[in-house]
This record gives sequence, structure tokens and C-alpha cells, in this order.
Amino acid sequence: MHATFSPEELAFRDEVRVFLRDNFDEQLAARIHNPKTFKTATIEWQKKRYDKGWVAPGWPVEHGGCGWTDTQKYIFDSALAEVGAPDVPPFGLKMVGPVIYTFGNDEQKQRFLPGILTGDTWWCQGYSEPGAGSDLAGLQTRAERDGDDYIINGTKIWTTYAQYADWIFALVRTDNSGKPQQGISFLLIDMRTPGITVSPIIAIDGEHHLNEVSFDNVRVPVANRIGEENQGWTYAKALLSHERTALSGIAYCKQVLSKVRRFAAEENDDGSRLLDDPVFQARMADIEMELMALEYTELRVLATVAQGGAPGMESSLLKLKGTELQQAAQSLQFDVAGLYGSVLPTEHEVGHAFGDRSRREYMYGRACTIYGGSNEVQKNIIAKFGLGL
Amino acid sequence: MDFSLSDEQQLLKDSVDKYMLERYSSEQRRGYMNAEAGFSTAVWSDFAELGWLTVPLPEALGGYGGSVVDTSLLMEAFGRAAVVEPYLGTVLLGAQLLSGGNNATLQARYLEEILSGQCQAAFAYLERRSRHQLTAIDSRAERQGEGFVLNGSKSLVLNGMAADVILVTAWLEDALALFAVPADSAGLSREAFQLMDGQAVANLRFDQLTLATDSLVCEPADSLALIQRVIDEATIAVAAQGLGAMETLLKATVEYSNTRKQFGQPIGKFQALQHRMVDMYTATQQCRSLLVRALCSHSAGEPQAAMDIAALKSMVGKLGRSVAEEAVQLHGGMGVTEELSVGDYLKRLMVIDSLFGDSAWQRRRFAELRYGDVA
Ligand SMILES: Cc1cc2nc3c(=O)[nH]c(=O)nc-3n(C[C@H](O)[C@H](O)[C@H](O)COP(=O)(O)OP(=O)(O)OC[C@H]3O[C@@H](n4cnc5c(N)ncnc54)[C@H](O)[C@@H]3O)c2cc1C
Repeated sequence: MHATFSPEELAFRDEVRVFLRDNFDEQLAARIHNPKTFKTATIEWQKKRYDKGWVAPGWPVEHGGCGWTDTQKYIFDSALAEVGAPDVPPFGLKMVGPVIYTFGNDEQKQRFLPGILTGDTWWCQGYSEPGAGSDLAGLQTRAERDGDDYIINGTKIWTTYAQYADWIFALVRTDNSGKPQQGISFLLIDMRTPGITVSPIIAIDGEHHLNEVSFDNVRVPVANRIGEENQGWTYAKALLSHERTALSGIAYCKQVLSKVRRFAAEENDDGSRLLDDPVFQARMADIEMELMALEYTELRVLATVAQGGAPGMESSLLKLKGTELQQAAQSLQFDVAGLYGSVLPTEHEVGHAFGDRSRREYMYGRACTIYGGSNEVQKNIIAKFGLGL
Repeated sequence: MDFSLSDEQQLLKDSVDKYMLERYSSEQRRGYMNAEAGFSTAVWSDFAELGWLTVPLPEALGGYGGSVVDTSLLMEAFGRAAVVEPYLGTVLLGAQLLSGGNNATLQARYLEEILSGQCQAAFAYLERRSRHQLTAIDSRAERQGEGFVLNGSKSLVLNGMAADVILVTAWLEDALALFAVPADSAGLSREAFQLMDGQAVANLRFDQLTLATDSLVCEPADSLALIQRVIDEATIAVAAQGLGAMETLLKATVEYSNTRKQFGQPIGKFQALQHRMVDMYTATQQCRSLLVRALCSHSAGEPQAAMDIAALKSMVGKLGRSVAEEAVQLHGGMGVTEELSVGDYLKRLMVIDSLFGDSAWQRRRFAELRYGDVA
């Protein structure tokens, strides 16, 4: 058992750092954080990673993956965190991509994987419905066969970034006769198809991330179905454990904490520093110690997966604890900003970019324990499948 | 021992509850908030007509002669409805400072108009890095002829934009003086901001601002005590407001859980969620008890009132936030949208936590008061 880096790994770390120094800067970060420039800047960032061959760490090499070891992935994520670089959007690379290369046919792989890697195709996830949130299998969006097409009717909700998306991967009901989990199919749908309407939902941070997507007699070729009809649940479940593992947000948490630490180390007028306050120290230390543990929990899970094991309820554990820690870090960050965290931006200078970011991250961060399967549902999974309760 | 309300208090409670029911739905509130001033002047006139603006002021100055129990009743109801009108800035801070001072000229000039709803006030005491420390300020006044010249700045002053008169702290020689600054003074500049809960605030700058002889609210030697007393009472009232918000959230969450169905049943049937709502209920009850406790000791002038107030504000700050976070969580995706008001209450409770010292700050104050002489 050891956790030291080999000389090759250290060399890899230097290479990553050089890449980031040359390709990522404050300006790009600011454009990614600005809702107006978010999409173009995000694609630009993805393309830089694509050009370097570093866009899909988790994919098999034959499909364009990096062929990295878990340690390399870890080094890469940590280096991103050091400079505050965000990951690329997960919908293509972490969600639908793996489903396509695992369960799709050759034609689908050739057609869709390249755009996912380059960032030229923006994907969104159409699972949840107004009546089917935690109980996802209760989804009602219907797909009826008509020759070589399905005709889709129904409504998806909470669809993140649907306003930017070229394609949506959706779970639809193709059969109503059996158990709810049966009779679901996995479809890839072009967002420009007639009959699709995207309506914005404004979130509590005041931004437009979420949407309702309605389907009114939308024609989708049967060729866009992944795998077998009525087997969509199986594919979606495989993807969910990937998604949840990705949601632990450890690198993001580290970024927040390092910002907090820098800010708390600044001197107040009276020469005191928040970082020297024992109560503040205790609170921050509690979060950091939990994060240190979770980092190794993740490495242990990755190691098991690398040896051929499947991430089962461990992915629930990572999602659960990781999102709790994100929220704890976001709360701390908000408190460090003091009253400035509550001030809304104006066209004038607020004088407190840190406060503004703290508020937005805290507010939107309330959602991370809800999406990707709420934390209550994760606990149910662990209780049932992990502890046998 | 009797914790019940007097007949007058019950009447006041009934009248404010009735008004909020009729005039303060969440759609109406959003309309008020989006008005130019950041609140509704029509609602403010109603408050004046209903006599609520006079509640804490002594009868001798045209007030109703109420106590902090009465203002807490009002503020709790304002909290339940997430009211955006500047009762705190104008009445609980502005009018209370003027009335507690000894400058009859200023009282005659402003109080009647404030009580009739014609005049808005604000209290400007925090600066860029004060972090709730009343004396950690740089604003300074110099005597000049018969009057004063004021220089400096203040941060995020509640109701600072709408205010016609602003009560400003500044050093005068070695004392912390309290000045009444007319909002139309030359040398005053204001920049408007909005807090996330909809309250309008302003940053102020005083640039060679000249003040008349009669602008001191009280003797400089007395101002710190006056300010502390007014802030103490406002802190209790703001905590009551937080409690009102917590109760609304608890009620809304229970209602939502009884109607939202997943897995073929109302989500309120899941024990995991039931226990969480019981925790929200317990937190709310604990805060109510601390409110009653602080009201009792403060009203009786007991020395332990300071400690009770610190405990109250610290717990409402902390538990208010956690109740609101739980309310969001239990509403699922709906909780993080602007469609429901849950997020509005979360934001209000976050702002309440940050006013007059956040939970950690008040806990430190409590510990100093409680254990200070042991060390
Ligand atoms: C910001 C955000 C982004 C999202 N992005 C997407 C997206 O891109 N695509 C997509 O398809 N979906 C997306 N979602 C939807 C997300 O997956 C759902 O919100 C989530 O599954 C919860 O469903 P719900 O909102 O209907 O809440 P509900 O299922 O109504 O849950 C309400 C509350 O009840 C609890 N609860 C429910 N069942 C149980 C139980 N059995 N035991 C205990 N507690 C229970 C929940 O934990 C929650 O606290 C997003 C959601 C958010 C908030």
C-alpha cells in the first residue's frame, strides 16, 4: 500500500501544469462564469483539451479516451483545481458518451462520439418529468411507433442547459403493460425537430440554467434508439452510477476551500485575520478532514473499478458525502464574504466579486443534494443494497 | 409566570395577520419589491394608517408607547409574509434613535413626519470592514464654526436610498458621535444596491458635508449606549422576523409533503422526511422559547438580557438557515426555482443572519458575556 507518485507521474503532473499555464487563464475562467459567454467559452475550453487529447479521461482509448491510470486522472483533476479550471460539461462526455460506446451500434458511435469529444455537439439530459423526479421509473412521456419513426408526446423538466443543446438523450415510455422499469426506451433526439418547445425556469440564483422541454408529436427515427426497445432503464442505470461518481465534486470543493483560505488570510483593519479565529479554524478543519477522507474513498472506489469491480452503492456514497461537503464549503465561503455575499450585482462595481460568486454558488449549490438522484434516495439505496435493511 | 399576550397585543397581532392575509400574497409581494423604491409606498401608507409606525415610540412623542414585545409581534408577522417595507430602517432604527436622543429640535423636525409615513429614515453605522464592530469606523466630523464638517463613508445602509434623514456615526474628537444628516445635504452621495432578499440598501459617501449646530442626536458621550440599546431591541425584533419566516417555511413544507406524490404516495409518508420536518419544528420551537426568554429579561431590565439576546440571535441565525435549507431540499427541484417562495425565505433568513452580527459572531458575544470573567 502506498500513495506516492512515481517519477513518471511527477513528470506527468508537470506536463499538466504547463498545459494549464499555457491554455487556461483568469480571463477564460471569467468568461466561463459569465452566463452571457458561458457557452462559447466552455466550448473553447473543451477544444483546447481536445486538441491536446485530454478531453475524455474516463473513455477507452479506442473511442478517443486518454488511456490514463487512475493516478493520472487524480493528478489531472487536482491540477485543474489548483488553477480553478472547471471541468467540461458532463452531459456528453460523462453521461451519454459512455452509453453510446457501451450500448450503441457502430453507426451511432461513428455519428455521435466525435461531436461529443470535440464539443461541437451540446447534449442535455431528458430524464425527469413533472410527475417523475425521485421516482424516475414513473415517467410518462410516450413514444409510439409509426413506421420507421417514434412519435413522442410528453414533458421533461429540470433539463439543464437545454437552451444551448443540439441533442437531448431522453427516456421515453414504449410500453405500459409491465412493471414501470420495463417499457422504457433510450432515445437520442435532435433538438431542432419540429414540435419541441424549450421554456426557461429561473433558479434561485436568478439565472437560467433549467428548462421545461415539451414534445408535441415529435418524430424521431427508430435508428436513434440506443439498444433494444423497452431496455432503456438498464442503460440509464449503468449511466447513473457514472454520473453519481462524477458528482462528488471533490476538485470543486478544493477550489472553493482554497479561495476561502486565501480570503480568510487577509488582514482586517485591526490587523486580525479570520484564519486565526479558532472557531473559523474548527469549522474549516472539519470540512477539510472530511474531504481528505472522501478523496481516498474515491481513490479506493476507482481502484476497485480498475480491478474489474463495478461501482455500486459506493457511487451513492461519493455523491452523498461529496455534495454535503460542497454545500458545507459553499456556506463557509458565503459566511466569509459577510454581508457582501447578500448584495446583488449592479451595472456599477459592487467592489466584491468574491461576495457575488459566494452568493451564486451557495444558492445554486442547494440543488446538488437534489439532482442526480436526491441524497435521500441515495441513502435509501445504501440502506437497501449496501446494508441489507 | 404568564407568557400569553395582553388583549391589546392580541388585537395588534390579529390586525397585522389580517392585513398580511389580504394584502401580502407572494405575488403581491413581488410586485411591491419590483417597485422603484424597492417597496410599496401604498403599503407604507397603510402601515401608517394602521398605526404600526408609532408602535415603539413613547406617547410623549406621539407614539403608541409599545414595548419590544409589540414590535416583535409586528416583525414576526412581517417575517411570515417576507415583507419588504423598511420598518427596520425607518422605525426600529431611525425613529428609535431620534426618540432615544435628547435633541428636541430634531425630534420635532422628523418624528411626526416619520410616524405619519411621510418621512423615511436610516441608520448608517457600518463601514467597509467593520464586521459588526460599532467603533471600527473611519468617518470623522470636525467642528467648524457653529456646526460640523463630515467626511467618510458607510456600507450597505438599510433603507439608505429612500431615507430622507440618515443617522450617521462618526468620530468627533475622541467620542463616537451620532449625527442626523438630511438626505439632500450637499456632499452626500449615495449608490443604490439591492440585497438578495429584496431590501434596498445604499453605500454612502460624505465629502466635506456641512452640518448645522443642532445635528447631534445626543451628547457624544451618550451615543454608544443609545445605539447599543436601540440595536439590542432591533436585534430581538429581527430575530422575531426570522422566526416568522421559519414558521412559514415549516408550514409550506408540511403542506407540500402532503400533496407531492412519488412512488405512489405523498412524500410526507416517508419517515426519513417526517423526522426532518420534526427537526424543523423543534428548531422553530427552540427559537420561539429564546425569543420569549429575551423578551422577558429585556422587558424587566435584567442584566442577563444581553446574554439572552445574543443566544436568541445566534440560534435564529443558525437554525433559521438550516430550516430554510431543509425546506428547499424537501421541495426537490421546485425548491430551487423562483416559482415558489421557498427560495425567497431562504434569502431573507440568510440576510437576517448577517444583520447585527451573524450566528458565529453572536455566539462569541454570548461566550464573552457568559465566561468572560472566568478567564
Ligand atoms: C439544478 C438541477 C438540475 C437538474 N438537471 C437535470 C437534467 O439535466 N436532466 C434531468 O433529467 N433531470 C435534472 N434534474 C432533476 C433531478 O434529477 C430531480 O429534481 C430529482 O430527481 C428530484 O426529483 P424532484 O425534483 O421531482 O423531487 P421529488 O422527487 O418530488 O422529491 C422531493 C423530496 O422528497 C424526497 N423523497 C422522494 N422520495 C423519497 C423516498 N422514497 N424516501 C425519502 N425521501 C424521498 C426527495 O429526496 C426530496 O427531498 C435537475 C434538478 C435540479 C435541481
